[in-house]
Amino acid sequence: MESSLDRTLAALSDPTRRGVIDLLRRKPRRAGEIAEALSMSRPAMSRHLRVLRRAGLVREDGLPDDARARVYRLERARIAELRGWLEEVEAFWGEQLSAFKEHAERRRRT
Amino acid sequence: MRPAGDVATVSVLVEVPPDEAFRVFTEEIDQWWRQGLRYRVGRGRSVIHLEPRAGGRLFESIGDGARVIETGRVTAWEPPARLAFEWRAVNFAPTEKTDVEVLFAPSPSGTLVTVRHGGWSRIRADHPARHGLEVAPFIGNLGMWWADLMTSLRLHAAGHSRA
Repeated sequence: MESSLDRTLAALSDPTRRGVIDLLRRKPRRAGEIAEALSMSRPAMSRHLRVLRRAGLVREDGLPDDARARVYRLERARIAELRGWLEEVEAFWGEQLSAFKEHAERRRRT
Repeated sequence: MRPAGDVATVSVLVEVPPDEAFRVFTEEIDQWWRQGLRYRVGRGRSVIHLEPRAGGRLFESIGDGARVIETGRVTAWEPPARLAFEWRAVNFAPTEKTDVEVLFAPSPSGTLVTVRHGGWSRIRADHPARHGLEVAPFIGNLGMWWADLMTSLRLHAAGHSRA
């Protein structure tokens, strides 16, 4: 039984899929636009989009003013879960780096 | 903004030149590496060592070497610009590791030191640390250096309503 974090991490282990997430951070896009932006064929891109969809990282839905236009957008909840995890890793290194800074600058003054 | 993927990134500006920042980071690692169970396995006398070469070990020596815990090997030794090493928590399987890269970039007032810690997606999905656990307990189980912090981590997570 995979946890949702496992699926998130597995989906993001691929550089193309990370590129998709980066693109969608800015605004929702059609599948065709995403494929073009990342210089990939549409069938290949649709496989990546399926992995991201199953991991719950993106969803495909209509635009408010045009329900027929299908666009991909980020699923914020899943992104937030991963960010929460990375934030803990960053908290650890942040504490270490502040100790390093203090040590490095103290020895310079003495 | 954080890059996508599974990399945690943290930077600090240190008011010393890059060659000195690199030397202090590596040679004096035990002097700045924080004490306490969040950062070290050993409760008592513990020394962090980083062997200064590619292939060298990053390890913690407890009780004058009675117990040695290897965190990983140095994978890049490029003073004064870049250092990289593997990072294995004590409960990882022998083949499992994450990667830490440390960059030392010159800046007008010293050195910008950046730590990038990635590769979390390679830890197998059925690892006891990952299996069926939600984020906060998973983190607490990652290594013994986090073990005693479970409560405060949960409080910390609860205090941050991440939208």
